Amino acid sequence: MSRSAWSDHSWQLIHTAPQSPALHMALDEVLTDEVAAGHRMPTLRVWEWAAPAIVIGRFQSLRNEVDSVAARRHGIEVVRRISGGGAMFIEPGNTITYSIYAPLSLVEDLSFQEAYALMDAWVIEALADLGIKAWYQPLNDIASEAGKIAGAAQARRGNAVLHHVTMAYDIDAAKMLEVLRIGREKLSDKGTASAAKRVDPLRSQTGLPREAVIARMIETFRSRHGLHLDLIRSNEMEQAEALVKRKFAHQAWTAEVP
Amino acid sequence: MHGEYKMPGGKLVVIDLEIHAGRLQQVQLSGDFFLEPDSALHTINAALEGQPATANEAALANAIQASLAADVLMYGISPEAIAVAVRRALHEGADA
Repeated sequence: MSRSAWSDHSWQLIHTAPQSPALHMALDEVLTDEVAAGHRMPTLRVWEWAAPAIVIGRFQSLRNEVDSVAARRHGIEVVRRISGGGAMFIEPGNTITYSIYAPLSLVEDLSFQEAYALMDAWVIEALADLGIKAWYQPLNDIASEAGKIAGAAQARRGNAVLHHVTMAYDIDAAKMLEVLRIGREKLSDKGTASAAKRVDPLRSQTGLPREAVIARMIETFRSRHGLHLDLIRSNEMEQAEALVKRKFAHQAWTAEVP
Repeated sequence: MHGEYKMPGGKLVVIDLEIHAGRLQQVQLSGDFFLEPDSALHTINAALEGQPATANEAALANAIQASLAADVLMYGISPEAIAVAVRRALHEGADA
């Protein structure tokens, strides 16, 4: 297999109604597998959140990362995703999250660093268009002069690669520190979370509503790679809902690394 | 017992374990690293299970490396980094 270019693929866009955290986890697994199987064309999915969530990485320890009592008090659902990386604290409207489901050929023979840089090059351009000088910061961050903007994670499944990213639009840092157990050595990674009440690199640096930032990002992707409006198919949604019931809503999965 | 190691240029590698009869038990690797396929997590835990508590970093790293299939991919983590986290967990236990 030789490496494919973005332009070799017909990119689809899914940007639909808000979904529950567990359904988002399941959709990532299902849509990656659908691309791997050749049932779905490569796709960009922009997430909308129906409820607050803590999303922990595939290999993170639930009790080491999350203060479950505080999370319950705030009504925050804790879910585990299928990719590695660190914990994210999400409230609807506070982050911008997207997934790219791509054929493995797009990152064939690339190092992990090269693959991360490739998958987010369009976002770096979109941020530049919005007046933010940002760059890919290995291993898996997007950074700006005002600090970390986003964290990325990839997972390879069969003939596809999942690349998903959460960007901080306007995060309640005080609440984040209540529900996530962030060690002192990790705090430096999270911008100025220890001192600031909010971590809002996208809101403060663009002065734009979240929806406008998303619209600009989608337009940048469209102009670079082409993009066709698509929907989650009914059989994909059925698979995802079944996967929520079987896996993502269960403590056996969420506490799989206790 | 609990040990953490931020791999230089990598991610946080965490080990929780117990010692029974001088050997590592209930070994659990965790952290914000990347590992493909994800089943390699259990392979690594199993490779460390039963290792002598006196094993040095090189011996632990070798045991991990030997257990992993050639197609396992690691990003932000390595057998050597895991071995450091194990030794830190054991050291913490010795200090306690």
